[in-house]
Amino acid sequence: MALVPMAIMLILFSFLIYKAIPSMRYTGFSFFTSYLWYPGNVYANPISFHGVMAPYRSSFGLLSFFVGTLITTGFAILIAFPVSIFLSLTINLYTPDRLKRPFSVLVELFAGIPSVVYGLWGVIVLEPVLLHNIMPWMKYVGFQGQIISGAGIMAAGLILSIMIIPIVTAVISESMHSQPRELKEGVYALGGTKWEVGKHVLLGNTRKQIVGGTLLGTGRALGETMAVLMVSGSIVNVLPTSIFSLTNTMSAQIAAALDSAFIDGTGMNLSALVELGLVLVLISLIVNLAGRAIVGRGALRGFEND
Amino acid sequence: MTEADFPAGRDLAGYESKYDRRVISDMIVRIIGYVILAFMSGLLLAIVGFVALKGLGVMTVKMLTTVGNTQTGGLANAIAGTWELVLTGLLLAVPVGMFGALYLSEYSSRVSGGVLRLFVDVLTSIPSIVLGLFGYLVLVIQLGLGYSLIAGGVTLGVMMIPYVLRISEISYSNIPRQTREAAYALGADNFQISFRLLIPQARAGILTGVLLAVSIAAGETAQLLYTALFNNGYTTSFLGQPVAYLTYVVYYSLQQNTVYARSMAYSAALVLVTSIFSILLVSKYISRIR
Repeated sequence: MALVPMAIMLILFSFLIYKAIPSMRYTGFSFFTSYLWYPGNVYANPISFHGVMAPYRSSFGLLSFFVGTLITTGFAILIAFPVSIFLSLTINLYTPDRLKRPFSVLVELFAGIPSVVYGLWGVIVLEPVLLHNIMPWMKYVGFQGQIISGAGIMAAGLILSIMIIPIVTAVISESMHSQPRELKEGVYALGGTKWEVGKHVLLGNTRKQIVGGTLLGTGRALGETMAVLMVSGSIVNVLPTSIFSLTNTMSAQIAAALDSAFIDGTGMNLSALVELGLVLVLISLIVNLAGRAIVGRGALRGFEND
Repeated sequence: MTEADFPAGRDLAGYESKYDRRVISDMIVRIIGYVILAFMSGLLLAIVGFVALKGLGVMTVKMLTTVGNTQTGGLANAIAGTWELVLTGLLLAVPVGMFGALYLSEYSSRVSGGVLRLFVDVLTSIPSIVLGLFGYLVLVIQLGLGYSLIAGGVTLGVMMIPYVLRISEISYSNIPRQTREAAYALGADNFQISFRLLIPQARAGILTGVLLAVSIAAGETAQLLYTALFNNGYTTSFLGQPVAYLTYVVYYSLQQNTVYARSMAYSAALVLVTSIFSILLVSKYISRIR
């Protein structure tokens, strides 16, 4: 039975690679350098190129999705990282013991909310707030671009940060909690303030786990599909110009374009999406495995151990 | 001791009354921390409150008991379908997780255990939409299962395996060594030890893992989009019929700009969040009394 996960993963990878081969042959290296993604005319006669069939005038490049993934994830980490550190410090230093348990349950419930529900909240609450209450002010701080909707990088980044804060906080807070009591007491005995305990013991000794927790959060944000799909604006063939630009990510593009890829008789659209998925898996795998190697195997979403 | 060695107004701990830089930085950190903590708790309450208010505002008995098609009708088929999918997933995830963990915790060598655990970690790292793509390519197309309960449930089950497996493994390894030695001393073989000692002893832990996996699976969408599709009625067989599920209603009905479709999305979100929170709290309770 322990072999089943291994078997599934081997099948998954060999299948993804096998299915991506036509796209690799058709697009070659331009898959990574082009930001144009045209399904092509699937009703015209397909063309033959490098020995594979593809729809007339189709072109596939992941750059716009890659940039979208990178920017929304980066935005999310930029917010989630300081917030998680302050949350962990506050929970470990300033919160009375009897409130710690309720807080940890709260964090877990936070992480249990499905991503479509975050997306629902993003569409109904966050987007209008951004559009009507935040963006009009942006022209006073030098923002020039046109504002069309509340969706885009800003909304997606904010939603992602809300989704990963519980994960990052759980990992950091747990490692702070497990710092030896003697170290903390030592600093107090020298007349240290609570913040000095936080700075020298809690932060100083947990740098590795902070990096690891952030990596796990990054991994989650990279692969997140539904919430981003709902609030990103799902735009193609455009590179973002500001943090309010509409955007799209690799995962959201797979979800959004898969059903229209089925009508492509040559299968090239599907193959290109599979190659996109393959790239996403590889990035996500590197980030997650690095995070897990640092944090230790206990962390699934960060807090399943207690 | 001169004035310079020991400035006026500084006590032995080094504080310069309550206006010392160190005391002030402590206060600043404390205030920022409390503000962020209050903000994040408020945000959670706002999101949960939003779902509760919007959902309760449009929730009717009819919504819960009639069959719907994401634009008209109710959620009964989506609620039933969600649980059908999750239970089908459990048919895969529970045996693999429970026995896989038993092997990893009791019988694996350093090398075999390391390799197998690495693949469990790899499995956890696969983005859900890629699992969905895999389910579509392999189960729906290659194996010819079509959009069905099997295709959707198995894809969900793959995602659930690591949760069940990890937590079961922890509960097996928490069983004291002496318990096993006592059983061996009484002449028990590996089979008896596994099934009459370890699994019964670890059942609370296994159950916690299963509940956690269920709570996550019930909220998943991306795996199911192209494996379960959607069904305007109940799904009554494992094969040949697509399956309705709640997260799809939240996602899809929201895009239909009719008032009723939106109210379906709100109701579906409320049902989802309520069920997931209850399951998480039950699993919390079980892991606590364990």
